[in-house]
Amino acid sequence: MSTSTYSVGAKRRLWIGRSRQLVSGLISLALTLFGLLIFTFILSRAAPVDPVLQLVGDHASQATYDQARHELGLDQPLPMQFLHYLGRLSHGDLGVSQLTQQPVINDLMRTFPATIELATCAMIFGALFGILLAAMAVFKPGSWMDHLARFISLLGYSVPVFWLGLLGLLLFYATLHWSAGPGRLDDIYTYTMTQHSGFVLLDALRSGDPAILKNAIAHLWLPVAVLALLSMASITRLLRAVMLEESNKEYVILAQAKGASRLRIILVHIFPNVLGTLITILALSYASLLEGAVLTETVFAWPGLGRYLTSALFASDISAVLGATLLIGTCFILLNAFADALTKWVDPRTR
Amino acid sequence: MKKLLATSLLLCLSSFSVLAATPPNALVVAQSLDDVTSLDPAQGFELTSVQTFTNVYQRLVQSNPKKPTELEPTLAVSWVSTPKSLTITLRKGAEFASGNPVRPEDVAFSLARVVKLNLAPSFILTQLGWNKDNVDSHIQKVADNKVKITWDVNVGPSFVLSLLSAPVSSIVDEKTVMAHAKNGDFGHAWLNDHSAGSGPFQIRQYTPHEALVLTANKTSPGGAPKLGMILMKNVPDAATRQLLIEQGDADIARNLGADQFQSLKDKPGVKTLALPYASLYYILFNTKAKNNPDLANPAFWKAAHWAFDYKGIAVDLMRGQFQVQQSFLPQGFKGALKDQPYHYDPEKAKAILKKAGIKNPHFKLIVSNQPPYLDVAQALQASFARAGIKVELIPGVSSQVSSEVNTHHFEATVSAWGPDYFDPNTNASAFAYNPENGSKTLAWRANWQIPELSKMTLAARAETNEAKRTQMYETLQRKVRENSPIVVGLQNKKLVAIRSDLKGYVQGIMPDMVYYKNVSK
Repeated sequence: MSTSTYSVGAKRRLWIGRSRQLVSGLISLALTLFGLLIFTFILSRAAPVDPVLQLVGDHASQATYDQARHELGLDQPLPMQFLHYLGRLSHGDLGVSQLTQQPVINDLMRTFPATIELATCAMIFGALFGILLAAMAVFKPGSWMDHLARFISLLGYSVPVFWLGLLGLLLFYATLHWSAGPGRLDDIYTYTMTQHSGFVLLDALRSGDPAILKNAIAHLWLPVAVLALLSMASITRLLRAVMLEESNKEYVILAQAKGASRLRIILVHIFPNVLGTLITILALSYASLLEGAVLTETVFAWPGLGRYLTSALFASDISAVLGATLLIGTCFILLNAFADALTKWVDPRTR
Repeated sequence: MKKLLATSLLLCLSSFSVLAATPPNALVVAQSLDDVTSLDPAQGFELTSVQTFTNVYQRLVQSNPKKPTELEPTLAVSWVSTPKSLTITLRKGAEFASGNPVRPEDVAFSLARVVKLNLAPSFILTQLGWNKDNVDSHIQKVADNKVKITWDVNVGPSFVLSLLSAPVSSIVDEKTVMAHAKNGDFGHAWLNDHSAGSGPFQIRQYTPHEALVLTANKTSPGGAPKLGMILMKNVPDAATRQLLIEQGDADIARNLGADQFQSLKDKPGVKTLALPYASLYYILFNTKAKNNPDLANPAFWKAAHWAFDYKGIAVDLMRGQFQVQQSFLPQGFKGALKDQPYHYDPEKAKAILKKAGIKNPHFKLIVSNQPPYLDVAQALQASFARAGIKVELIPGVSSQVSSEVNTHHFEATVSAWGPDYFDPNTNASAFAYNPENGSKTLAWRANWQIPELSKMTLAARAETNEAKRTQMYETLQRKVRENSPIVVGLQNKKLVAIRSDLKGYVQGIMPDMVYYKNVSK
């Protein structure tokens, strides 16, 4: 009897504890997003750029200028502008982009899948090869494998990505014809295939036409390879450092003394101990790919979020900038929260 | 319909894929589409938008593609003019793509909605004294095929005709547009990404920052186009555009840089075109700049005219992208001066400065960080340095540069001016006009007080005798060239590459003069 009461109480406490955690997590999420909004809003207004001028051009008459300024609500005091923005936001309205004259939410729904597709594919390959390369490097520090891993990661780290993209296009598209050109699909398919999800690979699969799928992959692989190299470089560098640090710890020396093989030490002893760090590295790397591989998207004419945000920034298209920043911020925060939870799950020390 | 289109396109492609990489019945154009804000003629004022209007809409009168200074009737067949009115007879049997006939009501609706919506290009028509209250009374149907256009301001009918030939005067189909009107917007939101015109093409699909697809309008009053489809792809990077045309994955690559242009020159299967364009590059001094009183000194302006390395930039640095032009009307405009009285002479510039007692001449030059502005500015920095003038370069995002210029927070800037309609007044009213009514003309941006020149500009606009009018513009150009804080130095060329099997492509000197109708391959 007393045992069962204890257990119910403990469960309840646990439950309350968990929901408190959840609530405080949600509150901190909301606060972070709010902070992000204020910060972006202030930055966008403090920029020495006149959004009205951007919209109407510098040939327009004063009457047109005044009308556009009024319509954008820029003739109101700054706090009022922010309040109006928040009011609309609470209805899920991110405003209308000045540049595309479309609701920002539609623009984001159009551009984000292109970026997710690119980033996810790049992440998968980047992580796979990055982990492999780091493991090879620590297998025998100072060996040729280590040097190779360091060289490749240094290359990926230091070569400008737009240059790599252009060079890739020149070699694989223009000379060898191994890759299709810029864009997500050949023109013939772009305007004939019905796009359901915005993810070209999925839509191509759904269309049931193998030629479209082949074409989509032919377009996708090169930008994916360029971005994968970039994320692989950072994953290898960070992971190698963490694993090397771990190899000097006593439990590794003990395992060595007991005669465990190097492979066993890396896989069974070191790897589980760096898993938490690895998750954080991967999450950050994925988030940075999502926030927009701006240059890669420009070189490959990839209509993703990064390009959308950049052209919006250049045009001081404030609704679009705020909307895209909010989306990226949310992704960042959610990915971080997810990585934290995952780390806690795999690594009991962090609980 | 979509499936049918897909199958036919696929069939075409599979049978031709060895010969050409682009579909045979479609023209693929690689260009930047990032400039488009709207495809409604009442708002669109950017390069891509106005080029689209030429192919999707028609105007009452339009420039002859082969001889741009001549206006030819398009939706009009003839007109009768008095000093303050034009009575225009419409083309018989002309139809919009929707099948609706082109009526005088459509003309009145199209022009009046521009004035009432009051968006960026509306100033072109409001120059006639039209406003939202009086515009309806100025454009009236007088018979089933006749419309009468009147104005109160002091301008002649030939000037009004040139305004009616501007992209903003495109005639839209009232019935179709009003069927999509919302909250009294005259169908503006719908027209942002749809078309309702009578031009050789119509908008099939527009995805901002991605693509603009036009399909043929076979019933267009001027005749059906030769190709079935135009596909404009957004390729923001010029080097990528070069690759696409080289590979045959695009038929036209627009707005190339001097580097891309040079390397495409000898490539097989590609033809390069350096097309004269009406945009002028100038350096402009703010004569009331804080902390730099020298910029108000006419001797300083004069020295700047001699310190500008015209040929060095046009011929050596920007190989083929520019030609020298020193007066405010670009070559190709009626009345443009052809002589170039200045050349690069740093010693002469030094002497002028010394005589005027200007010591330590210097200025801060704000400029857009985009090519070719920054290249031109850097070249000017070097050429001014040899004349003893120290230039501090401040590159910035173009939106920031124009904001600073429009609030007079600058000392000098390098920029470009493109005409808004095909009449000398468009540039005269920028370079030689500074009324005290809030118009932010170029002269206003330079804080240049010119009551005499402003009066002359208005008089030239009002002049109805063509020969006399041209003469007045020549005088104005000379006066500005002689003594002004705006040094005009270069005229731009558009660098375009096309596949060599392409026939019938025509592009004129105005931004909107891109004609796809007769293109075939």
